[in-house]
Amino acid sequence: CIEESDPWWKAFSGACRDMHITLKCEIFPAGTDSRFIRAAGHPALGFSPMNHTPVLLHDHNEYLNERVFLRGIEIYTCLLSSLASVPPLPAEG
Amino acid sequence: RGQDPGEHPSVTLFREYLRLKTVQPEPNYDVAVRFLERIAAELGLGCQKVEVCPGRVVTIMTWQGTDPQLRSILLNSHTDVVPVFEEHWTHDPFEAFKDSQGNIYARGAQDMKCVSIQYIEAIRRLKAEGKRFPRTIHMTFMPDEEIGGFKGMQLFVKRPEFQALNIGFALDEGLANPTDTFTVFYGEKCVWWIKIKCEGN
Repeated sequence: CIEESDPWWKAFSGACRDMHITLKCEIFPAGTDSRFIRAAGHPALGFSPMNHTPVLLHDHNEYLNERVFLRGIEIYTCLLSSLASVPPLPAEG
Repeated sequence: RGQDPGEHPSVTLFREYLRLKTVQPEPNYDVAVRFLERIAAELGLGCQKVEVCPGRVVTIMTWQGTDPQLRSILLNSHTDVVPVFEEHWTHDPFEAFKDSQGNIYARGAQDMKCVSIQYIEAIRRLKAEGKRFPRTIHMTFMPDEEIGGFKGMQLFVKRPEFQALNIGFALDEGLANPTDTFTVFYGEKCVWWIKIKCEGN
């Protein structure tokens, strides 16, 4: 689902490009709830807007900087505007 | 709710959520559901609760689009967090202590209470700006993810309430990245759970 022809990816990556955000696409190294969403037939991306942050999930002293957190809200504001405005798909008539 | 008058209200809300002890193996889900219901009321969003199995409630908040026939955007997150070894923490993991650099220490700060509040605050801002979009946006708040989702998402996707969301595309958690770049995950490894029984002698 990360091809330019995919309308959702186009909306997601296009919004990131507008924000001058660099993305790195990867396979998640563990399991999340996304696997059930994908198995039910819906495209899903795993994204937590945390850059400049050491990977500390499940670890001691897990933390997040408030500026990174607040920037993440701005990022979602832009992503949601783009995703919720994707024009009707062929299947939606 | 805020002690620090100079603090951004979104940060204050994040820290409040981090203080709720939704920690495995006995997460206080009731307190999380009440918190979410309060926010839905504040934002004027529809709020639905689906008890997928006893004591395991999925909370759904909905911002209706202008063309509700279209498939929706799903913003998913989980409310539970993994346990802690408190002796290895420099601060109480459920205090949400913020240091002078602005680092907020808490179990769930990255995985993934940040994301739940970011979804909420992004929608709060868009609504406050008077924005409307064609597609409906649903936020789902899931129990049980950290122990496999078997009493959470796995059951929820089988429910008629899930079908009714009419999902076109979903976002869920990713991971932090120490560099300037953001990581995005388009798939994940297959899970193969094995049970090992060790008998002592």
